[in-house]
Amino acid sequence: MLLRHSDGPASGNGPVLPELHRRLKWIALVGIGALVLLGGRLWQLQVMRGEGYYERTVSNVVKERYLSSVRGKILDRKGVPLADNRPAFNIYATPKQLEPTVREELSRLLGLSGDELEKVDERLAIGKKRDANRPIMILEDQGRDRAALVEQALARLPGVEVHHEPYRFYPQGDLAAHLVGYMSQMTAAEADRLTTQGYDTSELVGRYGLESAWENYLRGKKGIERYAVDARGQRLDDKTAATLIEGDRVIGAVPGANLVLTIDLELQRLAEKAIAQSRVPAAAIVIVEPKTGKVRALVSKPSFDPNVMTGHLTRQEDAMLRSDPRKPFIDKALRATYPPGSVFKFITALASLEDGQAVEDESIVCNGAYELSGTTFRCNGSHGKQDLVGAIQHSCNIYFWRLAERIGLDRIAEVARLYGFGAPTNLGLNGDAGGRIPTKAWYEQHSRYKVGYATNAATGQGDVEVTVLQMAMAYAALANGGTLYVPQVVERVEASDGRPIVTYQPTIAREIKISADALEIWRRGMWKAANEPGGTAFDHGHVSIVPVMGKTGTAEIRSRTRKKEEEERDIENWNPKRSHAWFSGWAPAENPELAIVVFIEHGGSGGRVAWPIAKQILESYYGKGQVTVDPKAPKPKQAP
Amino acid sequence: MRGTGLELPRSTIGVSRWRRFRAAVDWPLILTVIALCTIGLLNLYSATRGTRHHAKFDTQMKWMVIGAIGFVVATAIDYRAMVRLAWIGLGLAIVLLVIVRLLGEGAHGKGSYRWLNLFGMGIQPSELAKLMVILALARMFQDGELRDVPAMIGLKAIALAVPVGLIAIQPDLGSAVLLGLVILTVGFLVMQSVWPMVHITLAGLLSIPILWEMMEVYQKNRVLAFLDPSSDPTGNGWHTRQSIFAVGSGKIWGKGWGEGTQNQFDFLPEHWTDFPYSVWAEEWGFVGSVFLLAIFSFLLVWILNVALSARDRAGAVICVGVAAMTFWHVVVNIAMVLGLAPVVGVTLPFVSYGGSSLVVFLCAMGLVANVSLRKHGY
Repeated sequence: MLLRHSDGPASGNGPVLPELHRRLKWIALVGIGALVLLGGRLWQLQVMRGEGYYERTVSNVVKERYLSSVRGKILDRKGVPLADNRPAFNIYATPKQLEPTVREELSRLLGLSGDELEKVDERLAIGKKRDANRPIMILEDQGRDRAALVEQALARLPGVEVHHEPYRFYPQGDLAAHLVGYMSQMTAAEADRLTTQGYDTSELVGRYGLESAWENYLRGKKGIERYAVDARGQRLDDKTAATLIEGDRVIGAVPGANLVLTIDLELQRLAEKAIAQSRVPAAAIVIVEPKTGKVRALVSKPSFDPNVMTGHLTRQEDAMLRSDPRKPFIDKALRATYPPGSVFKFITALASLEDGQAVEDESIVCNGAYELSGTTFRCNGSHGKQDLVGAIQHSCNIYFWRLAERIGLDRIAEVARLYGFGAPTNLGLNGDAGGRIPTKAWYEQHSRYKVGYATNAATGQGDVEVTVLQMAMAYAALANGGTLYVPQVVERVEASDGRPIVTYQPTIAREIKISADALEIWRRGMWKAANEPGGTAFDHGHVSIVPVMGKTGTAEIRSRTRKKEEEERDIENWNPKRSHAWFSGWAPAENPELAIVVFIEHGGSGGRVAWPIAKQILESYYGKGQVTVDPKAPKPKQAP
Repeated sequence: MRGTGLELPRSTIGVSRWRRFRAAVDWPLILTVIALCTIGLLNLYSATRGTRHHAKFDTQMKWMVIGAIGFVVATAIDYRAMVRLAWIGLGLAIVLLVIVRLLGEGAHGKGSYRWLNLFGMGIQPSELAKLMVILALARMFQDGELRDVPAMIGLKAIALAVPVGLIAIQPDLGSAVLLGLVILTVGFLVMQSVWPMVHITLAGLLSIPILWEMMEVYQKNRVLAFLDPSSDPTGNGWHTRQSIFAVGSGKIWGKGWGEGTQNQFDFLPEHWTDFPYSVWAEEWGFVGSVFLLAIFSFLLVWILNVALSARDRAGAVICVGVAAMTFWHVVVNIAMVLGLAPVVGVTLPFVSYGGSSLVVFLCAMGLVANVSLRKHGY
């Protein structure tokens, strides 16, 4: 209708452009066709698929970011931190947005070294491959100064972000390193498993010790922040963001729970210091409270600095640690097992006394050698005629071999199991090992039982293998009169604000039914060993400020120990052929507060090497105030 | 009135000169153009608001004033005078195109030469060339069928093809194709027989493979990306995908003026130049999108109406040319925004940001108003 016929031109000769008139229907056809095409497409996009596109444009601008939760602290019983968090600044960049000029600017601003710049480029390349739109960390753990410089210049550095991310920090360095553990990047297998639990692949996970075993308590819960960005990934201000984001913009992170340990950091430090000063190459010390089974100190040496492990260990450092023949990554207190030697003799003694196969005043003559079915076993000396208490005092082997002859291997194994040997202590840490208590059946299974095996087992040799922790728990049971506790290292779990979440009570593994008389005889022997001349410990020093019970052990190494000495690094005092040195005991003698086991790997004689370390620990611990003087205690005597 | 060619309708004799002039002016055309310009400004304001591009609004206002002056000038000077000088004008346009090729500034470093810096203002000779080609077409077809000797006809046809070629090698394929379409459309609509144009069209289609070989890599990539936008979502398909998201997300009623997240947050680079319809569609929805299409349709119908009522062939051909130019700009631009055509630099008349396009379209509308004003009397 708008295309009315012209009412001009005045000439009246008809239209000036008749061709156009003729083709009006074609024009209409093309015009309507174009309208239908465009209108139809609009209908399709906006009406039919509009909802879907709407959703996508919202996700185009709204992004999510995890808010890292602050990891829980690990504290000693008095609240001194063993694992804490310190502020760290990480600089991130989104590879897709990072123009070369921005990289130059960043480099100029921070004065990046060639190495650093190389690392930045390397990480950017990795990020580009992974997801070029996602920020990747290019500079890790930068100082406050650098972070401030970058933050001030953010406007000139599109695609760069500074994140404040707390870093794990171990203020005590390598103190109790095996107990506390460390963190590291997750492996590919872990990444598959953990990302379903809300982890990000860039996160660190607890790798060792408590950090690993208590990961679920320590890590807390990550929060989510939703924010809006434009096409360049620039964050929009909160007011604009609020109009775009439905629901909560920030779901706050829940900080991880703190672990309060039973560990007495002071005692732990004394124990580690004693090892360091005695310059033994490898050792383990466990100190527990006999009345509760709470672990007061847990030492394994050599160790590592968890700060170094959690950061980025260089390849050389890593290789150095891993090739160390002393195996710094094995927890010698509870993962590694060793022959216990004479500290194990209480099993033989108690089993014999319970069975009536031994009496206190029976005297047996030791002439230094013992014949059994054609084999000669040698004692550590020629002790002459002595009763059971004297045999404990001198650590005479022959007395116990005779007893073993009477009661047999299986009876020894039975009592050993009662005291917790041969099964994990259930501390729940670092692969707490069970050790080995051989029986006749065990030997038959593996080869053939020989009567000499009982002889070996009676003095903690041969195939008997225990952990230092098991020994400590067993001596705690001797000290408290027969209650075997499950060792406890976590006192309670606290929320980040200090509110207790769980408080753990001591757990009894079993009450050991051994008569008080039998125990008393063994204790008397221990007293003499530590406090009377001729005692295996007393001969190497005496503690005067607190009455100490003690038993030494020197566990011989079987000659089949690998002969790789040529390959092994030259480490001071390290001789893999030498015996293991043990000391087990407690203090004060009556009303015991601490049961202590000192183990020196290939240390040699228990009395000469292990006992002085225990002595130093106890003296320095009780020397600071808690002095209990036992009137019965003999006069102090200097160690030879 | 003699000399300006302005003859007023007889029915208005006896009324004052001003009122007669007012009655002769093509108000529906002017109002439609004002409506489109307003929509363009509204849209540009929303598209650049709060960004570092907000100065573009002011720039566009200045161009609009210049365009309005252009409209008045293009209306005031008798179009027959212009048609008489059409070949000279075309020659001038060709010279400018050659100059821009030699001295022009690359647009955004994309390696093409489209801009001439004239008194501090960026000018695209390709836009001016469109007007000159339309006037030349009017000159060519003003006497009914072509009466020249075949050699002369061929020469004129070549003269018309030269700007197309020059624009194509800038390279600005979109504008070149568009100008070609305008010439073909005018030919189809005003020649007695359509066969010559059919032949030319067929020849053009057959030359596509040759053109393909001549294309720059980025042009080929754009065409390929159009054929499969998801193949390279962050590269050449990015514009198309983001534009489709923007349009679709407007749904029926739109997100509201200034509320389009796609354009507000720069998901569409340079959306004010080539993708203003996407901004419009996101913020005003299906209803607003169809409304804008309807205004363009009305404008086209109205220009054709002027063509039908023109007082001579030259005037009618001018109107057909302007209508063809407007039609193809609108269709190609919107088809591109809707993902129905490859991304080419073709503006949406009056709505796109950019001085050259705005001024040229306002001048073109001035020409239509010119023809409309002088349709009465001999």
